[in-house]
Amino acid sequence: MSLWKGFGELPRSQVGVTRWQRFRASVDVPLVMIIAVICGVGLLNLYSATHGTRHHAKFDQQVQWIVIGSIAFVITTLIDYRALVRLAWIAIGGAITLLLVVRLIGEAAHAKGSYRWFNLGALGGQPSEVAKIAVILLLARLFHDAEVHRLRWQDVALRCIALVVPVLLIAMQPDLGTSILLVLLILSVGFLCMPNLWPMVYVTLAGLATVPIVWENMHWYQKQRVLAFLDPGADPTGAGWHTRQSIFAVGSGKITGKGWMHGTQNQFDFLPEHWTDFPFSVWAEEWGFVGSVALLAVFAFLLVWILNVAMSARDRAGTVICVGVGAMTFWHVVVNVAMVLGMAPVVGVTLPFISYGGSSLLTFFVAMGLVASVSLRKHGY
Amino acid sequence: MLMPTGSGGSGGGGPSGGVAIPELGRRLRWVALAMILAFCGLIGRLWQLQVVRGDRYYERTVSNVVHERFLPSIRGKIVDRNGVPLADNRPAFNIYVTPKEFGDHQAELDRLLGLSEEESAKVTERLAAGQKRNPRQAVMVLEDQGEDRAALVQQARFRLAGVEVRHEPYRHYPQGELAAHLVGYMTQMNERELDRLAPLGYDASELIGRYGLEYEFENYLRGKKGIERFAVDARGQRIDDEAAAGLIQGERLIEPVAGYNVVSTIDARLQRLAERAVAPHRAAAVAVVEVKTGRILALVSKPSFDPNVMTGHLTRAEEALLNSDPRKPFTDKTLAARYPPGSTYKFVTAIAALEDGLGAEDEQIDCKGAIEVSGTRFRCTAAHGKLDMIGAIQHSCNVYFWQLAQRIGMDRMAAVAEAYGFGRPTQLGLNGDSGGRVPTKAWYEQHGRHRIGDTINAATGQGDVEVTVLQMTMAYAALANGGTRYVPQVVDRVEAADGHVVVQYEPRVAAEIGTPPEVLDVLHRGMWKVVNERGGTAFDHAHSDVVEFAGKTGTAEVRTRKNKDKPKVELEGWHPSRSHAWFAGYAPATDPEIAIVVLIEHGGPGGRVAGPVARQILEGWWTKIRNNPGGGDAP
Repeated sequence: MSLWKGFGELPRSQVGVTRWQRFRASVDVPLVMIIAVICGVGLLNLYSATHGTRHHAKFDQQVQWIVIGSIAFVITTLIDYRALVRLAWIAIGGAITLLLVVRLIGEAAHAKGSYRWFNLGALGGQPSEVAKIAVILLLARLFHDAEVHRLRWQDVALRCIALVVPVLLIAMQPDLGTSILLVLLILSVGFLCMPNLWPMVYVTLAGLATVPIVWENMHWYQKQRVLAFLDPGADPTGAGWHTRQSIFAVGSGKITGKGWMHGTQNQFDFLPEHWTDFPFSVWAEEWGFVGSVALLAVFAFLLVWILNVAMSARDRAGTVICVGVGAMTFWHVVVNVAMVLGMAPVVGVTLPFISYGGSSLLTFFVAMGLVASVSLRKHGY
Repeated sequence: MLMPTGSGGSGGGGPSGGVAIPELGRRLRWVALAMILAFCGLIGRLWQLQVVRGDRYYERTVSNVVHERFLPSIRGKIVDRNGVPLADNRPAFNIYVTPKEFGDHQAELDRLLGLSEEESAKVTERLAAGQKRNPRQAVMVLEDQGEDRAALVQQARFRLAGVEVRHEPYRHYPQGELAAHLVGYMTQMNERELDRLAPLGYDASELIGRYGLEYEFENYLRGKKGIERFAVDARGQRIDDEAAAGLIQGERLIEPVAGYNVVSTIDARLQRLAERAVAPHRAAAVAVVEVKTGRILALVSKPSFDPNVMTGHLTRAEEALLNSDPRKPFTDKTLAARYPPGSTYKFVTAIAALEDGLGAEDEQIDCKGAIEVSGTRFRCTAAHGKLDMIGAIQHSCNVYFWQLAQRIGMDRMAAVAEAYGFGRPTQLGLNGDSGGRVPTKAWYEQHGRHRIGDTINAATGQGDVEVTVLQMTMAYAALANGGTRYVPQVVDRVEAADGHVVVQYEPRVAAEIGTPPEVLDVLHRGMWKVVNERGGTAFDHAHSDVVEFAGKTGTAEVRTRKNKDKPKVELEGWHPSRSHAWFAGYAPATDPEIAIVVLIEHGGPGGRVAGPVARQILEGWWTKIRNNPGGGDAP
C-alpha cells in the first residue's frame, strides 16, 4: 500500500545511532521554542483576562487544549508530510463533505444564524479549520504534480474548483473572516511559488471584481462591522463599540502598560469576549508598546523561521507546505492585530496560539507539525 | 480522481543544496519587504495609539470606569429670632436619569409612571440638557415625587437602565406664605446661570436661591456638596474591590458639609400677627423695627406667594397668573416699591422749620380750608381754623405746613429728609432695596422747571416725593430714639449646624442726625395726640386702651396716569386711582421700643384704614410678645 508509506516512519536508520538520537538531532528545536513562548504568552494573557470572572475555567480548558495540541504536533511531526500530501485530495474531499454536512444539519440549530459550530462531542471542531489544513496540503500536492505532469485544461479547472469550493462554502456559513483568510493564503502561495505570475494577477483582479457581489450577499451584521470600521464614530455604542473600546484599551497601555492583571478595559469587561478575538488588546493594555512590539517580534521570528524551513525543504511539496503555513500564520497575525488596532473591520480571525479556543489551537499545532515534519526530513537520507 | 498519480514522494526529491522552488528564492526579497511593511504598519499604529495618544486614551479608560456622584449637602435653615423655622428641609423622592445609560426609553418611562404631557415634556427637556452637559452624569428629571412613583421606578430599575430614585432633602417652608418675600424661594437654574455656576460645583439638578434671604445668603446656606467616586464595569455595575479602588484618583468619599443656618431678626409671632392684621386688605406693606437697634421684627408685603409652590412646582400657568396680577406679588412692597408718603412726611417740614427758627411750636396759623400760591389753589382736608404746630400735626392740617414750606424752601426740606434716610437705599441689601426720591430744586431744573407749587407739595409728602416703607420705618425709629438712624438689619447671625456662630451682625448706626431734643419733643407730643386725643386723625379708629402709642397718619394721593396703570384685572377694594393709606408710629409712646409703618396700597384714608391695622399689631405685640421674648406662643 504505497498510500500509507511513510506513516510512523522516521528516516532510515544509520549505523550506531538510535532512532531517538537521530530524532533529537534533527527535530526543529527553535520552532518548538517559539511555539512554547507564544503559548506561554497566550496563557499568561488568558489568565489575566479571565481570572476572577465566571470565565476562569477557560484557562484550564486552554491548558488542556495546549496539551492535546502538543500531542497532535508530535504526531504530525512524526508522519512523513509526503504521505499526507499524497492524501491531499482525500483531505480536501473530506473537508468539503464536512462543510456540507455542517450546512445541512446546522439548518435547524444554532445561534447567531451561523452554521459554523459543528459539535463533535466535547470537542467543538470547526470544519473550516480542517479546510485550512486540507487546502495547504492540496496546494502542496498541486505544486508537486505540476512538476511531474503536463496539465490539460480540465486538470487546471478541477484544481481551481477544488480550491474555490471550500472558500465559497465557508463564506456561505457565513464566516467571512476565514474565507478571506483562505483566499489570502491561496494567493500568497501562488504569488510566492508559481513559475509564472500572470495567472495570479488575473485571478486577483477577477477576485477584486467580485467584491460588490460579495457585499450584496453579506449579512447585515457583517456590513455593520465593515461600515463601523470605515466610520467608527457613527455608532459608538453599536457596531463601533468593539473597535473603540479596543483602541482605548491598546492606547491606554502607553509605553510600558498598566501591568499584568491591571488592565481596566479588560478587567472591567469593556471588551466582550476579548479572549477569543481581542487577546492582543488585553496584552497591549497590560504590557504596553514594549510588550506589543515584543510579541509581534516573536511572531515575526516564527515567520522567518518557517520561511527558513521552506527554503531548506527537500522537495516542492515541503516548500509549499511551509509557505502555506507561513502565509496562514502571517495573515492571521496581521488581520487580527489590525482588527484590534482599528485598522481592519471586526472579523473573526484568531491570533495564533494566543486566542482562546480549541479548534484554532489545534489547527496551528497541526500546521506547525507539518512544518516540523518538513524540517525533520530536509536532509534526504 | 482523488489519486491522479500513483507516484510517491520519492519522485519529488529536488536537487539537494538548492531551493526546491527556485522562484521562492528569487522572490524572497519581496516576501521580506511585504512582511516588514506589514509589521511596520502595525508597529506604527501601536506607536500612534500607545505613545502619541496614550495619555488621552488612558484618561478615557479611567473615565470609562470611574464615575462620580455628588452627595447633596443639606441646605442651612432660615429661622426667626426664636429659632422657629421659616425654611427647612424635608426628605423627598427625586427621579434621576443618566442619559448615556438610559438611551431613548423615555416612552417607556412615561408609560410606567403615567406622566402627563407637561411632565413628559419637562423630562425630555432636562434629559436633553443633561445629554449636552455630561451624558454620564445623572440629571434630575422629576422632582419631589410621591412614594408610588418612587416604588415604580425602584421596581423597574433593572428593566430601565440609568433610572434611579434618590432620597434627597428638599426645601420646605413650614410657615407657608409667612414672610415669603423675606425668606424667598428656590428654583432650578437656567442654562446661562448653570454655565456660570458650574465651576462652583453646581449641577443641573440643583436649585438655587431666587429671592429674599434664600438668594442673598445662598453662599452661606448652600453648604458644600460631597463627592463619591467609584468604579463601574461595562454594564454599569458598581465594583468595590481593591483593583477598582486603585484607579480612583483623589478621595473616594468627600463628605458633604451642611450649609449654615441663617438666624433672622424677625419674630415669626409678630410677623404672623401683622399678616393677619392686613388680611382684609388687598395689598399692603408693614414693617416693624426695634428703635434702639434697627433690627427688623416683621416685614410684610402683600399679596404674597407660597414659597413651597414656587420652589420647583410652579407650573407655567400659575406663574403667568402671578405675573399678570396688577398688585405685583413679586415686588417687595416694603423695599422695592416706592410710594408718595403723604402726611407721614410732614415731620420733615416741622423739623426744618423748628431747627431754623422759621416756625415755632406756639405759632398759630389760620386754616381756611385752602391757600392760593402763585395762582394755584391748594386745598386742605378741612377748614381747621387756628392751630398751633402740635394741633396741626394732630389734625394733619396741610395749610399749616404749606405756609411753613414757603418759608423753608425746597432744598432745606430735602436736606432734613436725606438726614432721615430718604432718597437713598436703606442698605438692608435685600430684594432690590430702592432709594426712593427726595426732589430738590436742582432735580426739578433737570426735569423741567421748579415751581413754588412743587415745594408746597413736597411739604406734605406729595408731588415727586417717593419713599419706601422701610425708609419710613427707619426714619420713625430715629424720631422715636432721639435722632439715631440705624441701618436696618434682618439677619442676626449665621450659625454652623453645630450652633457655633460664623458671622454675628451687630446693629449699625447709619447716622446721628443731631435733631435737637426739644424739636423732637414737639413732634412726640403732636404724634401722641394724633392717636390719643379726640380730634387726632387716628383717634377714632386707632386709639388703643391696651397700649399707648404715637404716630402719624397719611393719605397719599396718587397721580392717576391715564390708561397706563389701568388694571387688567378688576379687584374689589383695590383701584390704582385711590389714595394710599399710611400709618407711621412707635410704641410705647414714652420710651419707645419699636417703630411701625403700615401702608395699605390704594386703601383710602390713612387714619381709618391703616390706623386700625397698626393698633391691632401693636396691641398684639404689647400683650403677647413684648414680655415673652423667648418664644412659645402667647403666655
